[in-house]
Amino acid sequence: MRTFKALIKREYWENRGSMFLTPAIMTIFFAGLALIGLISANSITVNGDDFSILNKMPQLVEQIEHHSEEERERAVQIALYVPIAIFGFVMFLVSVFYSVGSLYDERKDRSILFWKSLPISDTSTVLSKFAAVTLMIPVFYFAALFAFQIYSLIFGTVLLWFGGDSGLVVWASSNLFVVAFNSLVGLVMSSLWLAPIWGWLMFASVCAKRVAILWGTLPIALVAIAEGTVFNSAEFISMVGKHIAKGAMVATASINNLEREGGALGMDLQHPLEAFSVADFWIGLVVAAGFLAGAIYIRRFRDES
Amino acid sequence: MSAIIRAKGLSKKYGAFQALNSVDFTVERGKIVGLVGPNGAGKTTVLKAILGLTSFDGELEVLGLDPSKQRDQLMKRVCFIADVAVLPKWLKVKDAVEFVTEVHPHFNLERAQHFLGKTNINPNSKIKELSKGMVVQLHLALVMSIEAELLVLDEPTLGLDILYRKEFYNQLLAEFFDEGRSILVTTHQIEEVENLLTDLIFIREGEIVLDASMDEVSDKYVEVMVARENTEKALALNPVMERDVFGRKVYLFENVSREELQAIGETHSPSIADLFVAKMKEAK
Repeated sequence: MRTFKALIKREYWENRGSMFLTPAIMTIFFAGLALIGLISANSITVNGDDFSILNKMPQLVEQIEHHSEEERERAVQIALYVPIAIFGFVMFLVSVFYSVGSLYDERKDRSILFWKSLPISDTSTVLSKFAAVTLMIPVFYFAALFAFQIYSLIFGTVLLWFGGDSGLVVWASSNLFVVAFNSLVGLVMSSLWLAPIWGWLMFASVCAKRVAILWGTLPIALVAIAEGTVFNSAEFISMVGKHIAKGAMVATASINNLEREGGALGMDLQHPLEAFSVADFWIGLVVAAGFLAGAIYIRRFRDES
Repeated sequence: MSAIIRAKGLSKKYGAFQALNSVDFTVERGKIVGLVGPNGAGKTTVLKAILGLTSFDGELEVLGLDPSKQRDQLMKRVCFIADVAVLPKWLKVKDAVEFVTEVHPHFNLERAQHFLGKTNINPNSKIKELSKGMVVQLHLALVMSIEAELLVLDEPTLGLDILYRKEFYNQLLAEFFDEGRSILVTTHQIEEVENLLTDLIFIREGEIVLDASMDEVSDKYVEVMVARENTEKALALNPVMERDVFGRKVYLFENVSREELQAIGETHSPSIADLFVAKMKEAK
């Protein structure tokens, strides 16, 4: 356990930029963008019409009072959930590059000989990297998302002050801790949903001789092309694509629940945890386990020259 | 005597290439063994087999364990330094120390801090910011702080300047080596290890051509600087090698008594480098 903790820390030290700095910068960037947007919109007048948001606030406050409590909660919570899409998307890209480099970079810089000089099993090493992508990365992206959600509430409160309201309505409607919990679970569950992708990319990473990203992507393209040529169909690539798309649906299940838009791709989740009841989730984990076992085997027995 | 490494019929093939051809040897506790051979002779293959980094045929036992099956246990008792380039560049010095502390049951943190305290290495630096010499100092500090029974060194001083090379071995001898431990070292720089080895193994084209203690080597091999008038006599004793030094002939003899040789010239022990050249030419 002590070793596993050290291995997880090791992953953080190596990938601090993509795991911590990237989401932190995203939060700061979007927070700044919202502020700049507000300030610049405030100075726009077109043909004498005032487009200033701040001057419209009293009207808005009046409108809010006409809405039911349920409607207010829906509006506020959807606004809090929506950034999951962008944080989740960046997290997906980061996880792709993390997985594909996870077992290749150490061979490229030969540091694998240092890691292998220590009493750490290949199983612990590979599993620590899998835990990093399915748990640690989502937790970091959630932390940044949560900071942005709190910022959004403060931002909304201040806006309402301009309308003469106390702004408490935003906080009262937010159900913040439930939203935060659901956001965290959404990101973790969607990464677990994509486990077969990470498993495959880690397997490609341990096999790669050069440009690891090509080892991760070309075989998928080749299988798709082969299938198209032989069977004149595109089942494989559409299966991969649908699985990734459903991963996004898992992350945003809480939004789906509030918007009540219904399902897509034959899946309709009201909460990220409902993914547990979808067969594809479990099949994905089994596929991931297969790839990870392959990665462990190859890392253990490959002749490191 | 307890053997730390015992190899019997150790073989390794890379495709059609026979890297090791049924090699037998043992390394006893408390020895410093030099494994010397030209490039491609199989030195690194031997080390990789010992460290469980490659598959092999034949029998191999390291500290009573099978490196191909019990690698994780083995690495608690064995350390190795592959060469200077393998510490990850992105790692901070203090994180490297913390990591080894966490994962290695026989790592002594105070010792590591003591060694690092004697250097100019800043604990907050990343490894990529250190000079080559500093990286080696760090690696050595980490390795010497592990209570290992076997230390394997593969060209450890490659690419280092001479100051660090000397210091590297001096420190190993002074701070790490004792009768409970063994060191197995491969190097091209034979002259820099020759005074610290207790045993010598020469390997050529996957076979061992010499396996002896340094005492046996100096008993068995004698170099004689022969006066011009005695060259006939010298040749009659079948020298294994001859070379010219300042216009005089120097012959290397194997298993010829010292008394006989003293009669024809000035005798002394050959350098390992000369012995190596002789042994490598001999079998051709």
